[in-house]
Amino acid sequence: MKVLTVAEMALREIVRRRSVLLILALLPLAFYLSRRDGHLGQSIRFVCLGIGWAVSTAALFAGNAARGLEPRLRLSGYRGRDLHGGRLLALWVLGAALAVPYFLLILLDDQHPGIRYASVALILAGVVAVAPPFGLLLSAVLPRELEGTLVLLTVVGLQMLVEPESLTAKLLPFWFVREIGTYAVDLTDDGYLRRGLLHAALTLAVVLVAGTAAALTRLRIRPPARLA
Amino acid sequence: MSTDEWLHALAAELRRRGVEAGAVVAEAASHLRESGEPPLTVFGAPAAYADALVDSLRTPRPRSHGPVRLDVRGVTKSYGRRRVLTGVDLTVRAGEVAAIVGANGCGKSTLLRICAGLEAPDAGTVHRSGALGWCPQAGGTAEFLTPDEHFTLVGAGRGLARPAARDAGRRAAAGVDWDPAGAPQGRHLSGGTRQKLNLVLAGLGEPDLMLLDEPYQGFDHGSYLDFWAQVWDWRDAGRAVVVVTHLLAAADRVDTVLDLGGRA
Repeated sequence: MKVLTVAEMALREIVRRRSVLLILALLPLAFYLSRRDGHLGQSIRFVCLGIGWAVSTAALFAGNAARGLEPRLRLSGYRGRDLHGGRLLALWVLGAALAVPYFLLILLDDQHPGIRYASVALILAGVVAVAPPFGLLLSAVLPRELEGTLVLLTVVGLQMLVEPESLTAKLLPFWFVREIGTYAVDLTDDGYLRRGLLHAALTLAVVLVAGTAAALTRLRIRPPARLA
Repeated sequence: MSTDEWLHALAAELRRRGVEAGAVVAEAASHLRESGEPPLTVFGAPAAYADALVDSLRTPRPRSHGPVRLDVRGVTKSYGRRRVLTGVDLTVRAGEVAAIVGANGCGKSTLLRICAGLEAPDAGTVHRSGALGWCPQAGGTAEFLTPDEHFTLVGAGRGLARPAARDAGRRAAAGVDWDPAGAPQGRHLSGGTRQKLNLVLAGLGEPDLMLLDEPYQGFDHGSYLDFWAQVWDWRDAGRAVVVVTHLLAAADRVDTVLDLGGRA
């Protein structure tokens, strides 16, 4: 139950930052509209990347904002995994709340009836799953928000600019967006879907394990030994 | 000021200083009735008279023999080439108050963080027993949560249900002359009130060992006295309390003073 309490309070904190929420909500829309004229496939990929960027940024800031309170909570009976897990849960809920309206937008803004909408939903699910642990990982290893923001900016910028077949693109966390997006919009063979799903699963595993390890290291209490 | 108002003010000042007010106030009331003189003429201002009473009532306190809650041995810490702590020892038992004093930058907060386990010493050992209450000098509260939500969050860590955590928090807040019911989010609280929240959170769930890092910053004089009254209450309840301070007006009432000296 401790993890749920942390998640609830983290969500309360996030939803009270109304101006930040508004920017987060509109950022993917700007991405979507930027390529909507005649490039629906690109606009779908861009909106998914926009959601990934917005949720990663929210996670980065939420992680940094919690730094002052977390030592107290850790010393008040919470385990590191309660704190990290609760914050992750809250950000997954936030991501889902952001992604669902955009999925409906794509669904209703129907210019290409042949689009595989279930695959678009898969992209969004992948983005919502990967972005929070990725942002929290950055907040754990880069304690200053500016540094974390610049890294996020670099990652998403590179994701949009580098050749998708290059190794660099595949090493970036949201490469699966482009791959599954191609399958969904350009109606390519199943290989794109399989590669995209594999990339999403591997990315999720890496950011979850690395983010959790970084958080638990940062929140460890020394020494573990106690007086009898 | 009427006699009743004066007696009421005296009782409040005595409580702030951790003195049971009933008998003293009754004796003063009896004296005033018999003399028929105005209280300000007979005793002076309530705060000054309370100070005089506390001084006259102060007696050396026998050392506690409770279990050791904190045992620090030979702790050394450096940041780069700057040595902050050298071979520090400190033992605090249940029912004792220890004060860590010294100039700014002498390593008081570093030592407290090491005691809490938030930092590792370069050398030496730290052993703790029992649940820990932590009051940092800065931070420790959330900008966008109300005091009641803070109580819920910290209380859940201690295993307290929501109503119990909220009630415990509000009760403890009353001890430092603050009513948090309906209070706004942390970012809208004044510095002193936020520090009261910080202090109340440290005591939530009745931890065995309290580590407090200059917890009275931003307090007015009354709140400062309330804080020390709260410390004596915790000590009397059998808790071990460590207070980092550079303003130790109550040095003669703590059990241990660890002076870390000048700037490292």
